Amino acid sequence: MMLSRRPLLLGAAAVASLPRFAIGQSDQRPAINIAVQKISNSNTLEVLREQSNVGERIFFSSLWEGLIGRDWLNELKTVPMLATDWRRISDSVVELTLREGVRFHNGDVMTAEDVAFSFGRERMFGDTPATAQGRTISVRGDVIPSPAQRELPAEVTGVARRSWPALERVEIVDARTVRFHNATPDVTLEGRLSRFGSEIISRRAYQEARGWFDWARKPVLTGPYKVVEFRPDHSLTLASHDEYWGGRPPLRQIRFLEVPEVSARINALRSGEVQFACDIPPDQIAGIERERAYEVQGGTILNHRLTVFDKNHAALRDPRVRRAFTHAIDRKAIVDSLWGGRTVVPRGLQFEYYGDMYVQDWEVPKFDQAEARRLLREANYRGEPIPYRLLNNYYTNQTPTAQVLVEMWRQVGLNVSIDMKENWSQILERGDARAVRDWSNSAPFNDPVSSLVAQHGPNGQQQQVGEYSNDELNRLSVELETGTDRARRKQVFRRMLEIAEREDPAYTVLHQNATFTAKRRDIKWRAAPAFAMDFRQGNWG
Amino acid sequence: MFRFLGLRLARALLTLALVVTFAFVVLRLSGDPALLIMSADAPPEAIAAFRESWGLNDPLWQQYLRYFTAIFRGDLGQSMRDGRPAIELVAERIPATLALTLPALLIKIGLGIPAGVYAALHRNSFADRAVMLLAVAGFTVPSFVLGLVLVLVFAVTLGWLPSGGQESWRHAILPVITLGIGGAAVLARFTRSAMLEVLGQPYMRTALAKGVPWHVAVRRHALPNAAIPTVTIVGFMVGSLLAGAVVVESVFSWPGVGRLLVVAVANRDLAVVQCILLLVAATMVTANLVVDLLYGALDPRLRVAPKGATA
Repeated sequence: MMLSRRPLLLGAAAVASLPRFAIGQSDQRPAINIAVQKISNSNTLEVLREQSNVGERIFFSSLWEGLIGRDWLNELKTVPMLATDWRRISDSVVELTLREGVRFHNGDVMTAEDVAFSFGRERMFGDTPATAQGRTISVRGDVIPSPAQRELPAEVTGVARRSWPALERVEIVDARTVRFHNATPDVTLEGRLSRFGSEIISRRAYQEARGWFDWARKPVLTGPYKVVEFRPDHSLTLASHDEYWGGRPPLRQIRFLEVPEVSARINALRSGEVQFACDIPPDQIAGIERERAYEVQGGTILNHRLTVFDKNHAALRDPRVRRAFTHAIDRKAIVDSLWGGRTVVPRGLQFEYYGDMYVQDWEVPKFDQAEARRLLREANYRGEPIPYRLLNNYYTNQTPTAQVLVEMWRQVGLNVSIDMKENWSQILERGDARAVRDWSNSAPFNDPVSSLVAQHGPNGQQQQVGEYSNDELNRLSVELETGTDRARRKQVFRRMLEIAEREDPAYTVLHQNATFTAKRRDIKWRAAPAFAMDFRQGNWG
Repeated sequence: MFRFLGLRLARALLTLALVVTFAFVVLRLSGDPALLIMSADAPPEAIAAFRESWGLNDPLWQQYLRYFTAIFRGDLGQSMRDGRPAIELVAERIPATLALTLPALLIKIGLGIPAGVYAALHRNSFADRAVMLLAVAGFTVPSFVLGLVLVLVFAVTLGWLPSGGQESWRHAILPVITLGIGGAAVLARFTRSAMLEVLGQPYMRTALAKGVPWHVAVRRHALPNAAIPTVTIVGFMVGSLLAGAVVVESVFSWPGVGRLLVVAVANRDLAVVQCILLLVAATMVTANLVVDLLYGALDPRLRVAPKGATA
C-alpha cells in the first residue's frame, strides 16, 4: 500500500495534538466564584503592603507561603511549610532546612538564594537601618538595583521593619539550609517567620518585573494557586498551580469578585453566580439559612474588638473612671444580642494559640455595675461629658455596639456621648475632644509581643498617637521583646495585662471578632477561624 | 459670538479651578490618606514613611500649590494607592461607565420624550394617568432600590440575567435599565409639562384656527417650542455621563468611574478624585455650552441678544 506524505503528516499532527486536548478535557476540577466586599485595600497583592483582613483572605493559603506556616483548620498551629524543620542555634539565630522540590508559579525551583532575597534590602528593607533598643545595626549584603527595587514604596520598608526590627542577615549555609541572624536575642523569631509578611518570593520574577507595582499585582510565589488576572476593585482570578509541592490543587480556578453591597453578595449566591459569599453580617445569617440549600460558616478570628481610652482626657485621667467603664459593660449581652451568640468574650488581649504564653486564668473585668458606681464615686466623677468618637460600622456591628455601650455606661453614671467621625484620621486627631474610641487588635504571630507590645507598647499605635503611656508597661514591653527566660516572660506578660486592662486601663476587650461566609450546603468545605480561605487538597469535596 | 464663547470659556475655567480647590480643601482637611490607604492597623513606621514619601507632611498650602501648578503642566498626579498616573486609572474606567450611561441615555430619551409627548397630547386620558403614575414611581424610587428589585426578579427568581459584575453584555442589562428608567421618568414629566404649556399658547390656537392640521401644528409649533426645557434636562444628563452611575455601579459591582470615585474618596486618593472631578466638571461645562448653543438653534428669538445685554 502506498501512503503519501501529507496524510501521514496530518495524522502525526493529529496524534501530537491528542494528549493536550485530552488533558484539557480531563481537567474536570471545578472553578468557583467567591463574592467579597473588598479584594485588596491597597490595590496590590503584596503582603508587605496589603496588611489587612481582606488581604489575608486572598493570600492564604492560595498564594503566599512562608517557611513556617499555620494550620488554618487546626487551631492555627505552627506547621512546616517551605521549611521542613528548624532549630535554635542561639538566642538570636534560627536555622531552617528548606523543603525540596518546591516550584514557583513560573516553574523555577525555590532555592536558598530566593529565601535570602525575600528578606533582603532589595525587597524588604530598602535603605532603612535595623535597630534594637534605639541602636542602629549595620546590615550586610549588596543590593542589585532592579526596577522593582527602585520603586520600593516607603511603606513597604516600614512594614518590613516592624515585622523584623533587628534582622541582621539571612545566611545561606548550604543549598538546603539557611540561618536567620537577629541582632538581639529574640525568642519570637520562629513566630516572626510564620507571620503575615514573611513569605518567600521568586527572586528572578521580582528582579525581572518592570516595576514594583507590576510585581505587586502579579507576584510569583509558591502557593497552590497562581495569579492569572487582577483587576483592582473588580476581580482577582487565580488558576491551579499544578506543580504545587503539596499536591495538585482541587480547584481549576478561583475567582474573587468584589461586590461591595451585602444584599448583592447574597443575591449572587442565591442566583448561583457565586458559590461563596463572604463578609456576611450576623443579622443576615438566619435569613440565608432559612433556605436549606445554603449555610453560613465561620466564626471567631484572631482579632479582638476593644474600647480604647485616651488617659490624657480630663475626665479619664483618674484610672478609676476608666476602670468603671470596664466594669459597666455586659459583654455577654452584646455577644448574645448583636452576634447571635456566634462569638465569645476572650480572656483579655491574648489568643489561645500563644501556647505556653497564654494566661489561662486571666479574665476581662467582671460586669459589676455596683463596682463601677463605687469607682466613679471614689474618683469624684461628677458627670463630666466624655466624647466617644465613632466610625459608622467600620467593624461589624460597630454602631449598634456603641449605642448599647453608651446606655450601659449611662446606667452607672458615665456621661458618654457619641461623636460620629468619617475616617481614622478624624478618630485619632489629637485634642481635648478625644477620649474614647473603638479599635481591634490582631496577633500576627503566636506571642504577646505581636499584640500587647506591638499595639500598646512604646512603639504601638496607642502610645504613638499620644493616648497612653505607662512607665512600668513600657519597661516590661522591652523585657518581653528581648527576654529569653520563658517563665519570666510569662510573668511579665501577666503583669502587663494587669496594668493595661485593670490598674491603668489602656483599653478594654469587648469580644472576639468573627467573620461569616455563606455557601452552598452541598459544597464540602470548611471555614478556618480566620479570614484566610483554605482551598488546598483535604479541604474540598 | 466670539465674545460670548470667550466669556463662557473663562467662566468654565473658573468653575474648574473652583472645583479643584474645593475638592482639595475638603478632602485634605477631612482625612489623612496615609491612615486611610495603609489602614489604622498598619505599623506607625509604615504610615510615617507613606506620609513622607507623598509629601503629606508639607504645609497644606505647599501641597495645594504643587498640585495646582502641576495641573497646568498637564500632570494630574499619581494615585497614592496604585502608584500609577491618575489619568491612566480614570481613562481605564471610562469605557465601562459609558457602556452603561450611553445606552441608558438612549433609553431615557427614547422612552421619556415620547411618553411625555404622548401623555400631553392625551391629557387626562387613562394613558396619560398611567404614564404619569409610572413616571412618578420611576422618579421617586431610588436607583439602588430599583436595582435590587430587578436583581431579585430577573437574577434570583427567574435566573435570566446575572446579578452583577462586568463579564459580558448581559451583565450590563440590569444596570442600564435601572439607570434608564429613572432618567426616562424625569424626562417624561418635564416633556409633558413643557408640551402642555405650549399646547395652551395662543399661537397654537391661531395655527389650528387657520386650518393647520393638528399633527402638523404639533410637529412644527409645539414640539420645537417644548424642546427648550427638555434639551436642558438632556444636557444635564449628558454632563452626568461620566459620574452619573455612582450608586448603580456600586449595586451592580460594575468597575466604572463611579466605583473608582467612591473608593478614591474613601481613601482620600486625592489625585484620582481630582482627576475625576475635573473630567466631570469639564463634561458638564461642555454640555452646558452645547445646550446654550442649541437654544439658539431651536428658538430664533434667543439668537438675538436683547438690547443692553452683554452676552
